[in-house]
Amino acid sequence: MAEEITIQVGFGDQFHPLTVRLQDGDIPPWQPDQPLDVVGQRKPRLDAVAKVTGTAKFSQDQQPAGLIHGRILRSPHGNAEIRSVDLTAARAMPGVRSALTVPDTFEDSTARYCGAEVAAIAADTEQQADAAMRAIVVDYQVKEHCVTIDASMAEGAPQVGRGEQKNVQRVSPRTRGRRRGRNADPDADRQVVEQMARREKEVDAILAGSDSVVEGTFRTQVQTHAPLETHGAVCSWEDGRLVCWASTQATFGFRGELTSGRGQVKASECRVLSEYVGGGFGSKFSAGREGVIGALLAKEAGVPVKMMLDRSGEQTSAGNRPDSLQKMRMGVNKDGIIQGLQIRSWGTPGSGIGGAGAHNDGIYQLGEIDKVEYGVRTNCGGARAHRAPGWPQGSVALEQMMDMAAHSIDGVDPIEFRKMNDDHPIRAKEYDIARERIGWDRTRVRGGSATICSGVGIASNLWFSAGGGGASALVRIAKDGAVEIRNGAQDIGTGTRTVMAMVAAEELGIPLEMVSTRIGDTNDPQGPMSGGSTTIGTLTPAARLAAHYAKKELLAVVAERKGWDPADLDLRKARVIRNDGSDTGLSFKDACSLMDDDAIEVLKARPRRNYAGFSDTNAGVQAAEVEVDMETGVVRVKKVVAVADAGKLINPMTAESQVRGGVIQGVSFALHERRIMDRHKGRMLNDDLENYKILGSVDCPEIDVVLVDVYNGKSNTQVMGLGEPPIVATAAAVANAVADAIGVRVFEVPITPRRVLEAIASNEKSAAQPKKKGARL
Amino acid sequence: MNKRADDSPEGVSRRHFLKGAGAAAAVVTVAKIPSVTEAGQEVSDDPVIVGPGSISIRLKINGEIREVEAPPSTTLLDLLREHHAMTGTKRVCDRGSCGACTVLLDGRTVDSCSMLAIDAMGREITTVEGIGTPENLTDLQKAFVEKDALQCGFCTPGMVVSCTALLNQNPTPDRDQIRQGIAGNICRCGTYQNIIEAVEHASRKGGK
Repeated sequence: MAEEITIQVGFGDQFHPLTVRLQDGDIPPWQPDQPLDVVGQRKPRLDAVAKVTGTAKFSQDQQPAGLIHGRILRSPHGNAEIRSVDLTAARAMPGVRSALTVPDTFEDSTARYCGAEVAAIAADTEQQADAAMRAIVVDYQVKEHCVTIDASMAEGAPQVGRGEQKNVQRVSPRTRGRRRGRNADPDADRQVVEQMARREKEVDAILAGSDSVVEGTFRTQVQTHAPLETHGAVCSWEDGRLVCWASTQATFGFRGELTSGRGQVKASECRVLSEYVGGGFGSKFSAGREGVIGALLAKEAGVPVKMMLDRSGEQTSAGNRPDSLQKMRMGVNKDGIIQGLQIRSWGTPGSGIGGAGAHNDGIYQLGEIDKVEYGVRTNCGGARAHRAPGWPQGSVALEQMMDMAAHSIDGVDPIEFRKMNDDHPIRAKEYDIARERIGWDRTRVRGGSATICSGVGIASNLWFSAGGGGASALVRIAKDGAVEIRNGAQDIGTGTRTVMAMVAAEELGIPLEMVSTRIGDTNDPQGPMSGGSTTIGTLTPAARLAAHYAKKELLAVVAERKGWDPADLDLRKARVIRNDGSDTGLSFKDACSLMDDDAIEVLKARPRRNYAGFSDTNAGVQAAEVEVDMETGVVRVKKVVAVADAGKLINPMTAESQVRGGVIQGVSFALHERRIMDRHKGRMLNDDLENYKILGSVDCPEIDVVLVDVYNGKSNTQVMGLGEPPIVATAAAVANAVADAIGVRVFEVPITPRRVLEAIASNEKSAAQPKKKGARL
Repeated sequence: MNKRADDSPEGVSRRHFLKGAGAAAAVVTVAKIPSVTEAGQEVSDDPVIVGPGSISIRLKINGEIREVEAPPSTTLLDLLREHHAMTGTKRVCDRGSCGACTVLLDGRTVDSCSMLAIDAMGREITTVEGIGTPENLTDLQKAFVEKDALQCGFCTPGMVVSCTALLNQNPTPDRDQIRQGIAGNICRCGTYQNIIEAVEHASRKGGK
């Protein structure tokens, strides 16, 4: 019985009506003129007290009785075949309870990067496990390695992969029928190559016909996730059932890997618990080898095993954001309209091939695009999804191209230029906010002979995070008035738990303090993984529906007991009220006490599909202000204005924190972070937290967050996630600000003092010579 | 007279620590093991050779004398976490570069991962558990909650301890002083600005 309703969608002063056909028993979204008591309020997160007192128990903190410690032996070679692993001596060492080898367990005898798993030990103490690791005898056949994309792309480079696998492989456009480890069907591939050649010609012609063409080659570095809690789990077998306290951003996914018939563990039953997770940023979707190893070591030992990675293992083997090499040409006409864009890009996802793409052809109307993208195999730890995978690196290139193009047509203002090529209705407003708050038009000291120069830069976000099917929530209202909402998904620090409870509290007309939560337990209803910034958009409509129908049941009980019309009753401010707003004299608690049963429990799934709504995407604009010391090359980011939207804002406080966090990681990516590989030894040199530089408190800029509330009509909560969008633009805005300040562009991220000084020096050199025609910023 | 423990203000010199930590892999630990009376007074200061087996390690943690048998090579962090089940103090980098394991030693911050537990004998140790409880938060902890100065929460105990020490030493820090006060603590989620605001808020309220 689909009900058709008309709702208002839009933001600010731009609203219009939209007709929506409600599906699967859904309820209408909140309306702009509807008074809300909890949603939209700044609420401290519900687990904050546990976190500030150290009482929050993370996976690392679990200490079930009899706990022993697991350790993983890793390959010291850049590229090797494991001929044999002998555990005999190690097993005889004091305290050792169980051991396994990677070739036996995973049927994989390649160790294709330094840090690859080779064997594992569980012993009573960590020291005993460490000592036993030194007694493992491994026979390696050491091979040549390549640890940078340049080395791997070079003529005659040693082969990284196996069989016919080439070091450099085209990943887009894709040839259908390509199978893992094998090359594409030659006929299908030939067709794609022909199409690519035609496309290249077409776009070549478009660029040739443009008033101005700008080009640039950009590089970004490998960034590790470096969550403070490392990957892994505490694993325990109880009567044949596996329990894992896992540091994961996908409780149900983790369980699936350990129970799957194709996996190594094949547990008939597995419960995954993740009440607190010490960060993930995209790297903790999989149980990983460490999760499997933990479960197997615990099974053999017969006691619980803690198998959490050490920091080196985390840095080398638990994922990263791939690097990129992006070559671009953009054609633009004098009227400011972009005509076309040609892109060739490369990136390394480690010894595998997928996931190294750079999203450098989105956000704006870019005319005709000719893009070819390659993955480059290297003997390095594998990439994993990293907060907006592909976007920050793509943005660093595209946004600098935008500024260069604007500059090339009589120095059009970069913000105005973007507006001319951007049709996002929300972003149109956001540009103006960013412009004003960063002081875009203020006079600044730029380039020249000054020691400290100042500049501003702009860049945009785009994301798609309204969520979708795949979540249920359970709301329980007890006779004594206690309310609990349960969902088995995890909160990795984004505030999901709090937001879920706020939605339930709003629907039940009670203060947030009256709602308790249970999350991070696969025994509770199905929840999403924390990925794609879709958690909140997937979860909250289920939470609201479960609360709504629990409320209906409660009001039915009240109506029956009191002889009232249930359709005339509602809950607000912890009171039972009538539709005209008058009080019935009954409090929420009184109403609950009228139940015959101990509790009302309602489990509801979210509608599978979203409504057409107002906008499918989050927008967002960021502006950065930097100061550059022209003598030392040190860049200081003074301020970042981050204008962000995420559909309807449930908790502006945690939303703001998400944006600030994204900006900080973005600045860190722009200026500091990079994986450094020793090309001779093939190992990561900064597999720690002192040489792998992460932005600290002293260098943290002032971050001015402006949140735009959007009634997008996509779901009954209209929420979009905000984990990933705010990291997309930051590094690009910083790069543009640096170019604005010093009058020359730094094409490589991180923007280190050395690169800044080199850019300034090259600028001075070229200034001394007559300017080449077409040479542009 | 052994003066090693007094080489640095914290009573832990890097040289001394390395010597002790190296001993963990070898056999014995050379250390100054003071006997501690209930009043916390040292009565002996002679160096002794201990280990490799467990010895009795008696520490004053959050005002309470606690004694446990552990190898002398045990770090203060591991002793707190593994032997006393005080897991608020986190292990992150395990080499003194991130601040997640920060505790107070006689009121000053130290990285508990980078000091041996036996070197903390006779000293006042304060962990996050000794700063405030869920039922009785300090003003600083309340400010952390109100200003959302945490996300995943893994750096938070170390941050709370560092900021507590900062406010103890300087009840009215300016923004730069707060930044310096937490310069040794890494937050990966990016809560620095919220933490700075929380410390300012607590400072204005005159609390700690």
